[in-house]
Amino acid sequence: MSSMKNSPVLNEQISVNGSIEPVVSETTDASVAKDPTYWRSLAELADSPEYRNWRDREFAPDLTDRESGVSRREFMTLMGAAMALAGLASCRRPVEKIIPYVIKPEEITPGISQHYATTMPLGLSACGLMVESHEGRPTKIEGNPAHSASRGAVSAQVMASILGLYDPDRSQSFLKSDASVPGGAADFVAAWQSIHAAHVADKGAGLAVVCESFNSPTLSRLHKQFMSAFPQARWVAYEPISDESVYAGIKIASGQDVIPVCHFERAKIIVSLDSDFLLHETDSVRNAQDFATGRRVENVDDDMSRLYVVESGFTITGGMADHRLVMKSSDIAAFAVALAVELGKEGIVVAGAAGVSTPGNFDTKWLGAVAKDLAANRGQSLVVAGARQGAAVHALVASINQSLGNSGATVTYHALPDATLPSIAGLRDVVVSLQSGAISTLVILGGNPVYNSPADIDFASAMAKAKNTVHLGLHVDETSAKCQWHIPSAHYLEAWGDARSLDGSVGVIQPLIAPLYGGWSMVEVVGLLASGKQTPGYELVRESWRGTLGGDFEKSWRKVVHDGVAITAAPVSQSLTLNDGAIASAIGEAVKGAGSNDLEICFAPSMVFDGRYSNNAWLQETPDPVTKVTWDNAALIGTGLAKELGVATNDLVTVTSGGASIELPILVQPGQGDRSVLVALGYGRQAAGAIGNGVGHDSYRLRTVAGWGFVGGVTLAKTNRTYQLSITQDHGSMVGRPIIREGRLDEYRKNPKFAQEMAETPNLQSLWTEHTYDSGNQWGMTIDLNSCTGCNACVVACQSENNIPVVGKEQVGRGRIMHWLRLDRYYKGDSSDPSTLEMVHQPMACQHCEMAPCEQVCPVAATVHDSEGLNVMVYNRCIGTKYCSNNCPYKVRKFNYFNYTKDTPEVVKMAMNPDVTVRFRGVMEKCTYCVQRIGKARTTAKLAEKDMQDGDVVTACQQACPSKAISFGNIRDKNSAVAKAKKQDRNYDVLADINTRPRTSYLAKLRNPNPSLVITAGA
Amino acid sequence: MSAPTTANTLPFDPLDAPLVHGNPTFHTITQDISGISEVEVRKTPLPWWILLMFFGSLMLMFFASIGYLFYEGLGIWGLQIPVAWAWDITNFVFWVGIGHAGTLISAILFLFRQRWRTAINRFAEAMTIFAVICALVFPTIHVGRVWLLYWCFPIPNQMSMWPNFRSPLLWDVFAVGTYFTVSLLFWYVGLIPDLATLRDRAKNRARKIIYGFLAMGWHGGNKQWKHYELAYLILAGISTPLVLSVHSVVSFDFAVSILPGWHTTIFPPYFVAGAIFSGFAMVMTLAILARKAYKLEHIITVDHLDVMNKIMLATGMMVGYAYGCEFFVAWYSGNSYEQYTFINRATGEYGWAYWIMVSCNVLVPQIFWSQKMRRCIPVMFVASILINVGMWFERFVIIMTLAHGFLPSTWRYFRPTIYDVSLLVGSFGLFMTLFLLFLRFLPMVAMSEVKGVLPQANPHGHGDGHGVGHSGSHNGGH
Repeated sequence: MSSMKNSPVLNEQISVNGSIEPVVSETTDASVAKDPTYWRSLAELADSPEYRNWRDREFAPDLTDRESGVSRREFMTLMGAAMALAGLASCRRPVEKIIPYVIKPEEITPGISQHYATTMPLGLSACGLMVESHEGRPTKIEGNPAHSASRGAVSAQVMASILGLYDPDRSQSFLKSDASVPGGAADFVAAWQSIHAAHVADKGAGLAVVCESFNSPTLSRLHKQFMSAFPQARWVAYEPISDESVYAGIKIASGQDVIPVCHFERAKIIVSLDSDFLLHETDSVRNAQDFATGRRVENVDDDMSRLYVVESGFTITGGMADHRLVMKSSDIAAFAVALAVELGKEGIVVAGAAGVSTPGNFDTKWLGAVAKDLAANRGQSLVVAGARQGAAVHALVASINQSLGNSGATVTYHALPDATLPSIAGLRDVVVSLQSGAISTLVILGGNPVYNSPADIDFASAMAKAKNTVHLGLHVDETSAKCQWHIPSAHYLEAWGDARSLDGSVGVIQPLIAPLYGGWSMVEVVGLLASGKQTPGYELVRESWRGTLGGDFEKSWRKVVHDGVAITAAPVSQSLTLNDGAIASAIGEAVKGAGSNDLEICFAPSMVFDGRYSNNAWLQETPDPVTKVTWDNAALIGTGLAKELGVATNDLVTVTSGGASIELPILVQPGQGDRSVLVALGYGRQAAGAIGNGVGHDSYRLRTVAGWGFVGGVTLAKTNRTYQLSITQDHGSMVGRPIIREGRLDEYRKNPKFAQEMAETPNLQSLWTEHTYDSGNQWGMTIDLNSCTGCNACVVACQSENNIPVVGKEQVGRGRIMHWLRLDRYYKGDSSDPSTLEMVHQPMACQHCEMAPCEQVCPVAATVHDSEGLNVMVYNRCIGTKYCSNNCPYKVRKFNYFNYTKDTPEVVKMAMNPDVTVRFRGVMEKCTYCVQRIGKARTTAKLAEKDMQDGDVVTACQQACPSKAISFGNIRDKNSAVAKAKKQDRNYDVLADINTRPRTSYLAKLRNPNPSLVITAGA
Repeated sequence: MSAPTTANTLPFDPLDAPLVHGNPTFHTITQDISGISEVEVRKTPLPWWILLMFFGSLMLMFFASIGYLFYEGLGIWGLQIPVAWAWDITNFVFWVGIGHAGTLISAILFLFRQRWRTAINRFAEAMTIFAVICALVFPTIHVGRVWLLYWCFPIPNQMSMWPNFRSPLLWDVFAVGTYFTVSLLFWYVGLIPDLATLRDRAKNRARKIIYGFLAMGWHGGNKQWKHYELAYLILAGISTPLVLSVHSVVSFDFAVSILPGWHTTIFPPYFVAGAIFSGFAMVMTLAILARKAYKLEHIITVDHLDVMNKIMLATGMMVGYAYGCEFFVAWYSGNSYEQYTFINRATGEYGWAYWIMVSCNVLVPQIFWSQKMRRCIPVMFVASILINVGMWFERFVIIMTLAHGFLPSTWRYFRPTIYDVSLLVGSFGLFMTLFLLFLRFLPMVAMSEVKGVLPQANPHGHGDGHGVGHSGSHNGGH
């Protein structure tokens, strides 16, 4: 973050202008009327209706914007980008004229990137970011180290949101379904003002707002303002994937509206009940960091936590488990009760569990071992349940944690002062009211309920009954298409706002660029809804902060904007007062379905989350961490069920649940329970945009209110047709090769060098004169496989940093995915017994071999070694024989089989990193260890007349990694983090026996199984 | 060397038996061979036109596919990562291998004074040239940026960049380039006396000019013959090591890499044996068709075919030995990667290709233990085609080793596209078109050399070692 600059002045200018751009006429209007000090004509001074009419026709901002496509400001931004890229364009690109800055903006030096802090709201949480900007053009998202929910790391989805900003399919203007009425921004404002007036009269009785859930001081303030203007209006939040059951459960248990925040680093024993807290649950980035902290082992004296996972299908959390038990999601409530009962035998009385009968036959030895472990670690253990599980399970889990003394220790409960909690029941009430005709005006702020509302709530037909329907959205999506008004939404990188994370830290959302398509932020829209007047978002946000920031407001404000985060109040941890009876009755109800043998379907978020990132090509192409499927969802079934049904991967089946049925391709997933079918949500979009339309299958059609997380009674019927999935990894077994080395903690303590002893490394000689590598910086990397969860953050970070092209489903299916960094996923164990199966991940990129096989075989010397030990790829020299790839034992080289960037839209080019060449067709490419970052750090050090220090170079993957598994630096510097990591006992090189001498090494994975269960497994 | 001529026990001895049947004279030889290219003497047969149309169309498809390849990029093939070479390099090695028989027949058999070679050497050499042309196309078009291919040549340039002399691909450039040049020269030098014959027989101006130009003023003088034979001998000497070196170097593309299944020292001899094997099979296929179509059974006799079948039997055994040896070494090395590769080769996803290869290359030639089979035209025709199928699959099997490298996560099955197929089929179009044009416009049998092995050319009788080879050719100019 060395080049981080505080430039609120600049940003204010951009943002203020940017965000008020659509309403220029309005503000001029006001200023003319109030203060006619300067006027240009008598007509203007008089401000007659004729003059206004003429002026609006002549200078209507929306019209000109729409017609020309680019505003002056965008033009400057694009030109700046073009200028930056022009120097990097290869010699065979046409020469483009560039326009230099006439007046150089303050603090912008072309070619020098800047970093600004901002925040990405994620439902009820938020992620603090540090965004790299080149000449006013954001290019790369990184975590803000000061923000408690990101601590410098980000998830794949957050990283990819930069591409969402430049999405050419985003809606670019206000739309009106009735073409006879003008549909510009001003027309909408006028239309709303009349609606507003009508609803002020009926106190909002006929008004309903359906929004995405938020946790934001400004939105909360405006929400209150709205409710005071329309006291009878309905305002509900709807999220297809949320922690609704978690809040509901804790509400049952304690009657309070609080949320749990888990502290995995403090827990020695963790029990996860159907929770993928390392990837798909809220705050997975923070969870992964904490979890890794609790399991970091540097020497034999270090301890690590133990993770028990109970789940129906494989998740990356299950892959990290020391013990994994596969069962139906619908049995997990009963399992939780059984666990509580077992804890009772250890003398721990779990409130609400007494007297609940537990159907289901669980592995008592397993249960007993877990209970003993938990009981032995009171206050240092943690039980978590997944959002897929119902409220009752969460109530019971809260009770278990309370009785183990974990509340306040490994789990804290926080109030949500600024949040609007999502509510499916609320949505249903609105739909009922809509159908009865009680609601005349429906405003949908974000979200896409027409696509993703429960199958048994017919939102689309209900909303057709409202007289006025308005939708704010980034895209003209399924919902917009059915609304009368569509408001283009500003991306979070384009507008002012604020967001609070679950643990209470509040961050400012600072725009990095003026709205590309004239979108409005949710803050601005809610401001208009509440007051009927337009106010710039910047003013609305500052207004909210005026009260909270003490002292000199301007000064404090600048600091908050600069830092990106303000801890306005210490997170308030609330203790729970449990209501035994409520828990008991809820869980008693929940266990009723347990123990049945019918087939259940479980729903899970995907790389595109709930479908909101469907048009994001990076996320579509990022392989699912477990299945390695890209651009698709499938019905995941276990090997036993596959045998029973006589189906194989790529067979198309009809999945029927609750009367609805969809066709899905089968994916036989090792480690998947045989009575559970796992289906990802977020696919099968019809109006997502050019990227996301028609990708995958719409599984929302099977999802009902009652079967929100999972539902039984599912049938699978063969269609005798096939469907080709694009899977990036076909083979899941290491066939006995020591690629990922893994040991038990106790084995490691007995024999710390176990990893190195797993393969024989003969003393091999080279045919050639070897490089000495004895001067300057010698770059190296170490990846701790004990920390790596396989979450994909590094993959997307690498894609974003290095301009890696997206190739599409068909090309991925042909084996041409371009990711420089891939995550190899292997299974260990017996695939017919899902509970014994283990999963491991290994990030694999160019290993920068000191004796690189690729270098020797290139006929034109296009890949060579540099003095700092990098295996460098000279794109301009490459003629594309592909011999280097054939001779690469790690197969980390990627070839441009086509000109993959040929059709990149102009606006998407703005997301490219100007420091990295865009590769042409016919050349090989691969990981460079972020050589551009090394170069930048070298220049910085040189200018400062210093030597480079450890930590000056942070590679993109290292930066993004939530579990801090990657260390990078100068291996000659004995004190560097990477040199220390390489000194560790667990350090080993992959394929060292073929004398490649890779610069990237791995630290062997450790598992910490319960000794009493290990014996069982061995027997 | 000279065994007693007893027709019953030893029907064909290359040194003693008459090499040409039907007791032709010098004139009938000239008439029979030259006539093929002279419309006045022999009308171009209809089948020739039909075949030319057919193969010419395939050739056009070949060039169209290449055009599209250059336009779109290598992605139109089924290539991927890890299988970044597939049919392109398979075809390359296949065609280079085909070429070997020509050089072997013309150079090595010449040096060993195998006089029976005269019947087949011309078109075997032609086949070499055309096969190497087909072969050269593939490494040329398989690079991602074909317009920069010249960077593979050590041309002084403003970047002061040499190619990487450690790369086997660069060795390929030199080896195949040399091979093509020498083969072309050798063939052309051998053609000169016959071109002069065609020139002298020419009835129209165009033929006179063209053949006259190509004959380079040959008039069959004693001094010319002397120089000619010396040049021929030198070129044969230069060509001989090339027979061994080219395919050895081609095999280095694989052997020098570190991939299990490629990194083996047996590759050079194994590749050379395979090349001769496939080359003879191709000569056989073409010879059977040509002798039938042009009624040259008396010149390319069953005895010649019999000898070639013996060579195929021998080289087929050699490749069979190599297949077995690879398995032995994989087991004996104790290297688990190597072991996996070979077990997988025979039993894995590409097992079908492996067993096609073994059946065609090892089992099929075994029928040639029987003399009856060696002399049965339909049998050898089918066998020669099967052997070439098998040899194509041998290269395919070797290259598909790429699909199963060190890290199982990267394993991926290769599937060809329509363009992989069109280029393979199209390369046959190119080859056959060139070959048909050769049959029509150039003497397909080396007239001067055949005349040299006629009894008339050696008035002292045969078997005394006096008239072997070309020593009698002075007599047979015209």
